[in-house]
Amino acid sequence: MMITSDSYVFVAAILFIIGGIGFLARRNVLVQLMSIEIMLNAVNLTLVAFNRSRPENHSGQIFAFFLIAAEAAEVAVGLAIVLSLFRLRRSVRSDEADSLRN
Amino acid sequence: MIETLLRIFPQGDFSLIAVILGMPLLGAIVNGVFGARIGKPGVRFMALAAIGISFFACVLSFLALDKVVGAGGGEHAELVHGKLAWTAWEWMSATTFGGASIPIQFRFSIDALSGIMMLVVTGVGFLIHLYATSYMEKDPGFARFFAYLNLFVFSMLVLILGDNLPVLFVGWEGVGLCSYLLIGFWFEAEKNAAAGKKAFIANRIGDFGLILAMALLVYYTGSLDWDGIQQHAGELITKTNAQGKLDTVSIWPVGGGSYGLVFGWINLSFLNKTLAITGATAVGLCLLLGCTGKSAQLPLYVWLPDAMAGPTPVSALIHAATMVTAGVYLVCRLSFVFAMSPFVMACVGGIGALTALLAATIALVQNDIKKVLAYSTVSQLGFMFIGVGAGAFTAGFFHVLTHAFFKACLFLGAGSVIHAMHARIHDDDASQDMRNMGGLKKYLPYTYWTFFVSTLAIAGMPLLSGFFSKDEILYRAYINKTVSPQMDRALKSFGVWEQPDWFGPVLYTVGVIAATMTAFYMFRCFLLTFHGDFRGWTIGRPSQISNPHHDDGGHGHHHEDLTTPGRAPHESPWQMTVPLLVLATFAALVGYLNPGLLGHKIHFLGNALDHWLHPVFRDTIEGAGRMVALRAEHLVHGAKVPAEISHEALEHVEHMEPILMLGGISAFAIGVGIAYWMYVKEKGAPAKALAAKFPGVHRFLLNKWYVDELYDEVVLSSVDALADTAAAADRTIVDGILARLTALIASFTGTIFRAFQTGVVHTYSAIMVVGLAALGVFFFRPHAEATVRKLGADYQLTAAPGMGYKYRWDLDGKGFDEKQLLSSTDIQHKVTLEEGKTKTVRLEVENAFGRRGIREFVLTRAESTKTIEVGKNAQ
Repeated sequence: MMITSDSYVFVAAILFIIGGIGFLARRNVLVQLMSIEIMLNAVNLTLVAFNRSRPENHSGQIFAFFLIAAEAAEVAVGLAIVLSLFRLRRSVRSDEADSLRN
Repeated sequence: MIETLLRIFPQGDFSLIAVILGMPLLGAIVNGVFGARIGKPGVRFMALAAIGISFFACVLSFLALDKVVGAGGGEHAELVHGKLAWTAWEWMSATTFGGASIPIQFRFSIDALSGIMMLVVTGVGFLIHLYATSYMEKDPGFARFFAYLNLFVFSMLVLILGDNLPVLFVGWEGVGLCSYLLIGFWFEAEKNAAAGKKAFIANRIGDFGLILAMALLVYYTGSLDWDGIQQHAGELITKTNAQGKLDTVSIWPVGGGSYGLVFGWINLSFLNKTLAITGATAVGLCLLLGCTGKSAQLPLYVWLPDAMAGPTPVSALIHAATMVTAGVYLVCRLSFVFAMSPFVMACVGGIGALTALLAATIALVQNDIKKVLAYSTVSQLGFMFIGVGAGAFTAGFFHVLTHAFFKACLFLGAGSVIHAMHARIHDDDASQDMRNMGGLKKYLPYTYWTFFVSTLAIAGMPLLSGFFSKDEILYRAYINKTVSPQMDRALKSFGVWEQPDWFGPVLYTVGVIAATMTAFYMFRCFLLTFHGDFRGWTIGRPSQISNPHHDDGGHGHHHEDLTTPGRAPHESPWQMTVPLLVLATFAALVGYLNPGLLGHKIHFLGNALDHWLHPVFRDTIEGAGRMVALRAEHLVHGAKVPAEISHEALEHVEHMEPILMLGGISAFAIGVGIAYWMYVKEKGAPAKALAAKFPGVHRFLLNKWYVDELYDEVVLSSVDALADTAAAADRTIVDGILARLTALIASFTGTIFRAFQTGVVHTYSAIMVVGLAALGVFFFRPHAEATVRKLGADYQLTAAPGMGYKYRWDLDGKGFDEKQLLSSTDIQHKVTLEEGKTKTVRLEVENAFGRRGIREFVLTRAESTKTIEVGKNAQ
């Protein structure tokens, strides 16, 4: 059986939706961060998959590498924020972190 | 040796000027920035070295200039108008109305006129600096004072040596700034700070005139440097506009409008008379405004008497010897512009005469020694203006020179007196009041003698400097008459103002009256200060004067017995007396540079200054079409406009000189005689009696003709009213409506948006998801849009772009050609329409998702009006 890019896009879409729901539904900031990672990885997957249909260059794959680097940076910053949030509130629940309200 | 100097510094690139200018600037920077660190001896050394080296460089330059103008060729050799010039850098370039570009360079030059002026500024400046090192010794602002004073000398040198008007203007503003800073040097006292502001504002009004003059000169002559202006000065009168008419400055009607209205029997048609002046008159009047500001003439003289709030060396240097003569210097510098217009010359002379008279009357009754000298300065400046206004530029400048010495000496003498008085009294006002002085001859011998010599000089004692310069001015004022070059050219199309024949004699008479008053008030000042008995034994300390009820007891200071004699006043240290001696020597002798009649009679004296400055003013006085003709020509021949001055007329004029000289001599004799009688013979009784007899007049003069009050009422109150109106408008319109309305909108919007600002991440992400979904829907739907542009008879339709869009057009309204495939490049089409016709055009769009949309455009071309209607979407 030939695996077409449609299948990859399908898997990526499912991953993206899982990530999105996870981000919207969960209140634990760490879990939300992980959800974001899932969504980003879904995007990475589509980039790599579409790159297969374009053998003349590797923009998609290179883009994926850049995204991985950006993710790493994002996680570093995100975890630092979570850490300081925990120090401040003794909790990592995102609905309790509403100091920026109004 | 001078040849070597000229080899090192060639005439066209005389960079020694950089030393002349640079040393005072260096002094200002070092004293201003490091003053506290280098201490008082350091500041003193820096200030004196800066001006001293500058003076030395000036002397060298002057010797080189002497070589350049060829003065070595004997007494009667004709001098050339040479200059030593140095271009520092290209500053900027101005563009004329014609589009030509005028380079404005930071260029300095020394010629016969500026050479003398720079020697005076650095020479007198050095003496006053030396004096000030002692006078200001106890002042906490010692370094600041010398920083300002050095900066002043630098600015003054820029003013003098600048080779064009913009550079002169830089110096002009620089001296104004230094004047402001030094008048308000003791700014803790409100009145000193106010005096500084007054000087600054009065000068600002004058500067406005100077800037206007620059613009007009660019327009008329197309240049701003001295040589260029002189070369094209004729254009000020003869410039024609595009219609071939004379290019004059229209004064009335304002804005070229028509004001001649007739309301029934009120006929205002005389308002339609036009009044236009030549460019020369306009430029001259603007320059004159600038000069009245800087040189304290009517109507802007009011700042100078108040400027005495500054330390006395400042009064001597800035407000007597150098800065205030800048206006006279400018008139001399641009003599060829002024002489083009008889009206302006008459204004210069007239303003000078009125100022000389007004200031002299005020000086008659003042009690503050510095105020007397201040009004005397205003009055003497008036004399200089009479001189230059009569076309006797050398005489006017000669008075600048002599005045610099005797007035600097007088001010420094007054400073010495105040220094001595202040040691006893410790009150600024009381220590300057002549009523507290008297008999100081005994205690201050050097000051006494130098003050005496200078008083004689300013009063016009024959054979002293003031006599020669003042007489030269009065004599020239009587005989000279400026004749418009327009008359020669018979430009009948333009009404020419002619100086009336009585004008010269009136200037002379006013001058003699003012000179009589000068002799009187100067001797009054001198006698009150130095003769009689010392009246200052029993004057109160400041605690008694300013705060009589504040004596809370317990302090020895307050309980001093002020009725017993205190310490006697003492002579000043050598740093103060040496400058006095030098200046007094010059005040006595500098007149022999140009002893006028005496120089003609006694050959070895000669008239060196006249000879020296002759090349500078030659073109102005003798040049074709811009002469200052001798009135005698009219007296002898009855000719209205003398074509040239005959030998006969010259002889006649020379015979008049001794007769006219009697006026000056009698002015001195009468003035001094009255003063002696009043204050020595009768011990001041007649003065008191006179004041008691005419209390109104006395009060009127004591209050300076109420000019300050008049300005308060007229100018200040109208400015205040304007400010109040503006403030009211600001409060109601800007603050009340604009600001509050804006704030209201902002806060209302904020209230709405605040509701969305929950601070909860989930809300934000949910909104984001909704937004993304909406964006997805937008992209999913096809959007058949096109812009329609009318190009003449054609309508150009351009389809809006979109991701992966393909287009198909139905241009004739008959439906789409179903066989035609949609194309991504088929974006633009032209449709031609005849007038009054209507056409329907359809656009079909397919997006990346394969969805299609159609839109219909109804194009209508109207008969005459060009409107198009864009139809409804027919998707």
